[in-house]
Amino acid sequence: MNGIHDMGGMDGFGPVVVEKDEPVFHHRWEGSVRAIMRQTVGRFYNLDEFRNVVERMPPEEYLRASYYERWLHALETLMVQRGVITLEELRSGRANGPSIAANIKHEPRPELIARFSSGDNVVTRNLNPTGHTRLPRYARGKRGVVRTVNGPFLLPDSNAHRGAKVWEACYAVEFTARELWGDRASSIDRVCVDLWESYLRSEEGES
Amino acid sequence: MSKVDPRIANLDRGAALPRKNGELVFKAPWEGRAFGMVVVLNEKGAYAWDEFRARLVEEIAEGSPEYYESWLSAFESLLIDHGVVSVDELGRRASEYASLERDPVF
Amino acid sequence: MTKHDHHEHGDHSHHPEAPSDIEARTLALESLLIEKGLLTSEDVDRIISAYEHDIGPMIGARVVAHAWVDLDYRARLLNDGPAAIRELGYDYPASTGLAVLESTKEVHHMVVCTLCSCYPWAVLGLPPTWYKSAPYRSRAVVEPRKVLEEFGVALPADVSVNVWDSSSDLRYMVLPERPEGTEGWTEEQLAAIVSRDCMIGVARPQVPAEANR
Repeated sequence: MNGIHDMGGMDGFGPVVVEKDEPVFHHRWEGSVRAIMRQTVGRFYNLDEFRNVVERMPPEEYLRASYYERWLHALETLMVQRGVITLEELRSGRANGPSIAANIKHEPRPELIARFSSGDNVVTRNLNPTGHTRLPRYARGKRGVVRTVNGPFLLPDSNAHRGAKVWEACYAVEFTARELWGDRASSIDRVCVDLWESYLRSEEGES
Repeated sequence: MSKVDPRIANLDRGAALPRKNGELVFKAPWEGRAFGMVVVLNEKGAYAWDEFRARLVEEIAEGSPEYYESWLSAFESLLIDHGVVSVDELGRRASEYASLERDPVF
Repeated sequence: MTKHDHHEHGDHSHHPEAPSDIEARTLALESLLIEKGLLTSEDVDRIISAYEHDIGPMIGARVVAHAWVDLDYRARLLNDGPAAIRELGYDYPASTGLAVLESTKEVHHMVVCTLCSCYPWAVLGLPPTWYKSAPYRSRAVVEPRKVLEEFGVALPADVSVNVWDSSSDLRYMVLPERPEGTEGWTEEQLAAIVSRDCMIGVARPQVPAEANR
C-alpha cells in the first residue's frame, strides 16, 4: 500500500538526530517487546504479516509512535487476530486458558530460478497494490541495472496476506541517482534496491 | 549506561573473551564478577589495560583450560604486585568463604 | 545476575553450599575491593550488563579488522558474508543473507531501509534510534551527501555515493577503507577504530591523533 512507512525521498522530516551514548533499550518494556517478537515470529505469523500490520497503522499514529510502540501495536494485533491470546486476556493481563500451538509451516527453500542476470537492463513496474509490497514508491517505473542475483525469497506481496508461497529470485538493482531524483542528485551517485522478480520487466519492452 | 571499551571487547585471538552468538558468556556468576571487577578497576585507572592484558596472555599460555581461571589469576597477581591486596589477606578471606564462615552470595 | 544459577536446587538460603575454590577466590576479591572502597557491587553489575548486551557492533569490527589484514579473508567475506563470519567463530542466522560492501577511494557505500528498519543485527547489534527514524529513512536515498555531512563525513564530489536500500531478506554491512597511518597495527587495535557507524556507512574510521603506537 502507498502508506506512510514508504518514506524514501520524502522531505520535511528535518535533520537526523543522533543520541549520544544511546542505550540499547530506552525502557525495560522495549526489551520485552523485542523478545516477544523474536519468540513469536515464524510461529504464529511471518515477518511480512508483521510489517503489513505496522504499515496499516493510521499515518498520524505511525509517526507519533516510537519504533517499539509500533512493534507492540503489531504484536497485540497479531496475537489476538491469530487466537494466541484473547482480547479479554490482553485487557486483564491474566491468562484464561492454554494457548494454541504454533501454526506457521516452513518449507525448504527451492532452487533459484532467475530470469535476469547480472548486468541486465530492467525497468521496475508501476505497481500500486493496496496490499503489502516491498517495491518502494520512489523506485517505480524506473530504469536500472541488475547488479547481483539473490534468493529465492518468498514474495512479500503474497506472503504478507497468507497467500500462496511464491518463491522468487530477488535482485539488487542499481539506479543512477538522477534516474530517481532528476537534477537534484549528483550525476555519479547510485541507489541500489533489492527487488523481487515480479517487480521487474526487461528494458526491451515486453512484459 | 556504561560504554563498552573496544580494547576489552576485542581482545586478540588467543585471549579473546568467550562468546556465544557474539555475546559474552559467563558460565557461572563468579566469572561475570571477575570480569566486571577487572573492567571497573581499569576504568578507575588502577592500572593500564595493557598491564592486565599481558598477564592474561601469560596465564593463558601457562595452560589452564578455563579462560576465567586465567583471568582471575592474572587479576590477583596484578593487584598483589600493585599492593592493593596482600597474599595473606586474599588467602584468609578465600578460606573464610570456602569454609562458610562467610555467606557465599554473589 | 541470578544467585547460584549454576546450582539447580532452589533451597539455598539456609544451607548454602560451600563454594568452589575459584568462587571463594572471587568472593574474597570482590568483598575486599568493596571494603577498600575501590569498587561497589553496582559497578560490577553495570559492567557485566553493558558488555553482555552492548557488544553487537564488536563482531562487525573484528570482521572488518580481519579483512584488512588478510586479503584472502577479505575476498571470502565479499563473496559470502555469512560463511566468512562463521569462519571467525561467530554464529550467523540461516534466515537472512549478508552482503558486504567494500568502500574504496572511488565509491562510498551507505545502508538504509526506507520501508522499515532492516539492519544486520547479527553483526552490528541492535540499530540506533536514528537509523529507524523518519529523517534518516526519508533522506538517505535522496540526499545522502547532506546526511553524510551532518554525520561529519565530507566526501569529495568525485567520490560516488552508493546507497543500499535493504528491502529484502538480504542485509548489508559496509567494509570501510582502512585508513592510512594504521600500518603494522594489530587486529585488536584496528577493530577499536571500526565503529558501528562506519559499518552502516555514515562514518569513516578515524586514526586518533595520539596514535603513534
